[in-house]
Amino acid sequence: MHLADALISPSVAATTGAISLALIALSSKKVKESSRPEIIPLMGVMGAFVFAAQMINFTIPATGSSGHLIGGILLAAILGPWAAFITLCSILIVQCLFFADGGLMALGCNIINMAAFTCLLGYPLIYKPIAGGSLKPVKITLASVVASIVALELGAFAVTLETELSGITSLPFLTFLSFMMPIHLAIGLVEGMVTAALLIFLAQYRPSALYEPSKNQATVKKGKLRPIFIGFAVLTLFTAGGLALFASKNPDGLEWSIAKVAGDVEFGSEVPSTAIMPDYNSDFAGIVGALIVMVLLWAISSLIFSRFKKS
Amino acid sequence: MNLQEAILTFNSCSSPASKEHAISKVDSRALLIVTLLYLVLLLAVPIFLPGKIIWFAIYPIVMSPLCGFSYSSVFKKSLYVLPFVMLIGVFNPIFDNRPAFVAGDIEVSFGWLSFLSLTLRGLMAVQALLILLRASGFLSLCHGFHRMGFPSVLITQLLMLYRFIGILMEESLTLKRAVAARGYGKSSFPIRLWARILGALMLRTLDRASRVYNAMSARNFSGHFHVSIREEWNGRSSLFAASWTIIFFFLYFFDLSSLFMR
Repeated sequence: MHLADALISPSVAATTGAISLALIALSSKKVKESSRPEIIPLMGVMGAFVFAAQMINFTIPATGSSGHLIGGILLAAILGPWAAFITLCSILIVQCLFFADGGLMALGCNIINMAAFTCLLGYPLIYKPIAGGSLKPVKITLASVVASIVALELGAFAVTLETELSGITSLPFLTFLSFMMPIHLAIGLVEGMVTAALLIFLAQYRPSALYEPSKNQATVKKGKLRPIFIGFAVLTLFTAGGLALFASKNPDGLEWSIAKVAGDVEFGSEVPSTAIMPDYNSDFAGIVGALIVMVLLWAISSLIFSRFKKS
Repeated sequence: MNLQEAILTFNSCSSPASKEHAISKVDSRALLIVTLLYLVLLLAVPIFLPGKIIWFAIYPIVMSPLCGFSYSSVFKKSLYVLPFVMLIGVFNPIFDNRPAFVAGDIEVSFGWLSFLSLTLRGLMAVQALLILLRASGFLSLCHGFHRMGFPSVLITQLLMLYRFIGILMEESLTLKRAVAARGYGKSSFPIRLWARILGALMLRTLDRASRVYNAMSARNFSGHFHVSIREEWNGRSSLFAASWTIIFFFLYFFDLSSLFMR
């Protein structure tokens, strides 16, 4: 579900980045206030565990294909929602920097789509009320599956919305949504099942490791999160409305600036006889010309690099 | 990406390309700011102007040798992102078939132009990130984030994660090999078996967290790490940031491809 940098516009990146930063700041505050000093190393090793667990595939029943854990609900069930959110954010940052999953500009989108929906919505509003601190496998399974499905469906919806608002794809919104939602319904179901399998294992062999909100100050009380999410929803709607302008055919601020400085760029304009590739349209010639220069630059940089290496 | 590849990638990216290179004295904040500006302006170029986007390749092409590695290696690594970008972009030529221009006998649509732009943007964005990480190193970057005012809890978490990822991935690989050796080379397992394998690893992970906490408490851990990196914003950092800023804005506002049109 990682959104790449190429798929979003700067305005969407800035908005989601600001929301993510605010959520990170809030979560950091909550973690500091929780007065659980042991949470710091636990967050570190559990983050590394989820990272490593994502590399071990399981067989998806009745399909013959395989999948891997995402880990949002699992982390929240062990660390609590705020600490789990910070942990997932750190995983996303490392994935972006080391493994090119997502990107720096798309980090805000990915944090909202994957970390916020699972840890700050899926766990406190769905998992917790259903499981209710019970160690019974049936309750854990039901809570994990429902929370995972809802969180992933919200994430899939957000990916579609963010891509559409960026004006990147020509795919109609509803068509795109009809691709994304069923796939993530299946992924959510499997994610819920594997999360439940691990949590049941933990409940059986180390129940004390599961997060117990009653013992911590970082408890998410009913109704406490409501104002945040109402604000979040209003902000999203406002942003959606505002950003739709940027996705329209009219020029945005930056395009307007280009038009002012460099003049209007017209496709299909006549090619003057002095052009380097006069048989081709000017835009095509521009692309090929730029490509040639970049290849030359690459060759020169390789030469310089080999010189440096020898010396 | 399988576990073995992930460990190799992680180890290769963990250490900067070489300690002494032209960019090694540049503050990590300058690198971060330049990378962010590069990405913002790269993504702000209208999607139907791939000829303009290509020029942004100047940054990774020039920076790679300056940081002590070849552009070819960066280019090869960036190809990893192609399938994800192309999956979204491939619909553009299908849904947007308005003619843009004619090249010889072939009519090129706006959909193909945006598809090409998306691919280029995807590659260049990843290349910029690879350069950022390999030019400064992860620890310096965390130090830079810290000095830019990011929450200390997040920075500590990033450093802890970085410390334990290698260890946990090695342990997972050992587990995976042991199970695969007894399972006739199967690369994935039924969910129940998978949960037992990872459950065992999770229990060991929780024990490790407890040992780490005891060790940290014994050393008076106060809640955040002190990174022993001395970096200062010097003249070289200012020059680096200023020169790339001018170049990026020049590439953004002026279409150099027009040189080939007249």
